[in-house]
Formats: sequence, structure tokens, C-alpha cells
Amino acid sequence: MLDRNSPLRPIAIVAALLVALPLLLPSLTLSSEVVVFAVGALSVSVLLQRVGLLSFGQGLFFGIGAYASGMLLAAAEISNAVASIGAVLVAVAISVGIGALIARRGGVYFVMLTFAFAQMGFFLMVAMAGITGGENGFADVPVAPLVAGGSATPGTFATYVYLAVLCLLAFAATCVMAASPFGSVQTAIRSNIHRAQALGYNIANFKAATFVFAAAVAALAGAMHTTLLGFVPPSVIEPETSQRLLIMAIIGGAGSPLGAFLGAAFYVVLSDALADVWPRWMMLIAGILIAVVLLAPGGLFGLLSNAFGRVRARG
Amino acid sequence: MASMNPILSAQGIQQRFGELTAVDDVSVDIRENSIHAVIGPNGAGKTTLFNILAGTQSPTAGKVVYAGRDVTSMPIHQRVKIGMSKSFQRTSLFADLTVLENVRLAVQAADGAEPYVFWRSTDPGGRLSGIAEELLGSVGLRALSGARVGEISHAAQRTLEIALALASKPKIIFLDEPLAGMSIDDIHRAKHLIRSLSERMTVVLIEHNMSVVLGISDTITVMARGRKIVEGPPEAIRSHPDVRQVYLGHAP
Repeated sequence: MLDRNSPLRPIAIVAALLVALPLLLPSLTLSSEVVVFAVGALSVSVLLQRVGLLSFGQGLFFGIGAYASGMLLAAAEISNAVASIGAVLVAVAISVGIGALIARRGGVYFVMLTFAFAQMGFFLMVAMAGITGGENGFADVPVAPLVAGGSATPGTFATYVYLAVLCLLAFAATCVMAASPFGSVQTAIRSNIHRAQALGYNIANFKAATFVFAAAVAALAGAMHTTLLGFVPPSVIEPETSQRLLIMAIIGGAGSPLGAFLGAAFYVVLSDALADVWPRWMMLIAGILIAVVLLAPGGLFGLLSNAFGRVRARG
Repeated sequence: MASMNPILSAQGIQQRFGELTAVDDVSVDIRENSIHAVIGPNGAGKTTLFNILAGTQSPTAGKVVYAGRDVTSMPIHQRVKIGMSKSFQRTSLFADLTVLENVRLAVQAADGAEPYVFWRSTDPGGRLSGIAEELLGSVGLRALSGARVGEISHAAQRTLEIALALASKPKIIFLDEPLAGMSIDDIHRAKHLIRSLSERMTVVLIEHNMSVVLGISDTITVMARGRKIVEGPPEAIRSHPDVRQVYLGHAP
């Protein structure tokens, strides 16, 4: 078996989950939705887990990724993959600016600033209705191949495979980063920020760099969302998206990147199952969130890894 | 041994916290490669002065000059780069990491080339770990390198504190109560370690253990009520009437 601390271990588990997902869930579209939001929730959990920053505004970068990829597809005859790379670069450029401004702030100031920027993003989208489509969303996204040279009208299975590969790449990048020298500084910052600074690390720069990484991940998720839906609904940049990504990350557990996957799967599958039978299903999600925060701060991942630990200790 | 030139010079330092003046117009010169202790009763302002010299706090007025350079408002992570290093009073380590990883992080920070590398695992050739192992050996902690910091003894944690501060190869090191909470045997070892440091660097420390301070320091600055009342070699401090009165009481 893989070493417990090897960065390959969570990557292998995500790969296995991606293969299992379409076998377990009733539809490929639902599986694809899980995969998209797993990447979105990862962007929240990576900030929280690596440097202890709580973002209330990752929806901003999710939205930027969704709009940018949609607009790039409309503007040029390119594949979804190329549009996604472009969307990630746009988000990186914007997050470098925002990160330099806000990443040095800690605690509640950082939370409020992310919230404020997310609000600003939403109202900018509405204000620029001429380009973004405003409250109607951006509907002019042409059907495009997934990758250059691929089928012009990709089916749902191909789309799932494409999204699953991107998801695996995002999780792999996160795990490799966590095991890198850069990741060791993040660990130091989370463990004892004053000591890390006294050693000579410029804390603000490391936090800002992590912020940019998380923004890139969120934008990738947004671009994947556009690929899946074929248009850009205005909800992608609404504050509710930020909230949803945060809830997924917390329910799943921010102790490991795997938590983001579990949280997204739980949320998407539950809301899909309940939305038809009970229009107030969000109440249940709220109740679960309260229960997790109060009773199981490690989230689903914490519960599962405890259970595995107990089985292993017995066996 | 101690030269006559000051490596660090503080001039007219004042620190106010609202109505309270914690440090009032204090000037100190610290000679290169000396051991310089700051002592005083509780509330004398010695910790505040020490923090201003080390750079974790900037003063309301006055300036701190290090090796000819005004460092008064330079943040601590930049001071490390020019040869200033600080260890902490309350043990401040990465408790959930191993002893070796603590020092490796410190060496990595000093090395400068590595920290932003995010695409491969840490230290593939083991170069930084090698330097860290060597450093642990020099302070007598090599045997503990694989242990988690939370699990080693208090004295070993205090020594590790010093080892982390040494990783940047400082020219001046600030030790905040390095002997606090140590047993007699541990104090003996730590005393030797501090003495040996002064062969390579300047040591500034605050310490409550008077016999150690008098035993190892080249110069002692005595603070009381925010002011510097006396400064000089241990013999002069020991016999000074003002010191006896404000600090030592009836001893020794």
C-alpha cells in the first residue's frame, strides 16, 4: 500500500472515486455535477487547510472562470480545454491583484474582504449586462469540442471523462503542492505563524500565492461548469455560489483535500434527491451544517478516517 | 572575543502604550561578539526594550541601528536576512512536526532558493536536511531528530528554540529567557551553549536567573521603571548600590 503521508495516496483515492462515481449515481450528468463542485469546494478547502484562510468569496473566481471560458468560446473557435486554460489565466491575473490587497489580513477581516469582493463581482456582472447578458446569463456559448481535434458534439460520457481528468489534475496539483517546499512553508504558517515569520518567511507573500492557487482552482471549476451546461447562468457568480462551495468544504471536512470531494458529492446528490420532493431542502443542509460544525468538526472526511482507523486497529 | 565596536546601537528609545510609558529614553550600545543581558524587575520595561531591539515591535520614538543601518521599522522576516535572529520566551515551535522538520524549515528559510518551489517534494537530495542534522548535532539534539516536538522534554524544546534561531547563521541572536523552566543540569548545558555562541556571534538576552546572568554576560543593562539605571560588566553590577536597592533587594 501507499505510505500514509505520500502525496500519491489521496490522488489515488480521488482517481478511484472518479471511476466509481458513474457506477454509483443514477446519471452521468449528476456525476459530472459532483466532479465540477468537488473542484470548486477544493478551492475553499485548500485555503483553509493550507494557510488557515476562510474565504466567503470563492464564488467570485468560480464565476469569473465560468464567464471567461464562455466568452472565450464565443469569441474564437477553440476547444473547451483551451477556453478553460484561458479562464484560469484570467482568474490568476485578477487574484494576484486582490490577493496582494487582502491576503495579509487575517481572521475576520479576510473573511469580510472576500465577501465584499464576491458581492462586487456579482454587481459588476449585472452592470455590464451588455457583455455578460446580465440577469439572463450568457447564453451565446457555442457547442465546441472538449479538446482540440475532438468530436464537435461531445456526448455525456466523453464530457464526464474530460471533467474527471481535469478534476484529477486539480487534486493532484493540490497534493503535490502540499508535499513541496512551498507546502512545507504553508504547514509552518498554519502551525505557528509568528515563528514562521521569525524564521524569515514573508507570510503575506505565501498567503497571497496560496490565494492565487485557490483562485485558479475555483476558475477551473467555473470553466468546467460552462463545459457541462453549455451556457453561463448568472447564479455562478452569485454570493450563493460562494456560500455553497464553503458549505461543501466544511461538511466534507477541511482536514484533507478529499473532504472537498466528499462534501461536494454529499451536497449535490442530496440536493438532487430532495429538490423534487421537498422544496425547502436547504433547511436540511443547514441542519447538517450545524451538526457537522458542532459535533464533527472534521466533517465527513474526519468521520470516515476515524472509522477506518478503528477498523484497522481492530483488524 | 568581544570587540569595542557596537554591532547594534539603540538611541533614545521610547515606547508608550496610551498613558503608560513602558520604555523612556533608553540608549544602549551592544558590542560585537559580546554577551549582553538586559535585566530588571517585572514591569521594568526590559521585555519591551528587548522586543524593540530584536524587531518584533517598533518604538514610539528613537531608532535602532544595526551594522550601520537603520532597522527601526524593518519587519522581522527582513531582519533575518541581514543577520538578526530571535528565539522566543514562551516556547514557540511547530509542535506537530518533527524536530528535524522544524530545523529544516528554518534552514529552508535561510537558504532562500527553495521556499517557492511547489512542483516537487521537499529536499530531494537531502541537502537541507543534512544542514539541519548538522545544526542539531551542534546543539546536542541529533538523537531526537525524528521525534515530534510536542513529545520532547521542555529543556530540549528550549534548545530547539535556539537551534531554529541559529539556522539563519545570524551575526546577532536575541534569546528571550533561554533558561526559563530548566532543571539545574539543563541550565548548565544551556549556559555552555550560550557561551559557545559568543565565539561566533553577538548574544543579547533577557534572563531571570541572576547567577547565570552574572556568570556569562560581558555587559549587563539594568532597567527599572522604564529607564536604564546602570550598565556595565557583572562585577560592577553586583556591587552597585542602586542595583541592590531596586532589583536584588538584600541579595547577594
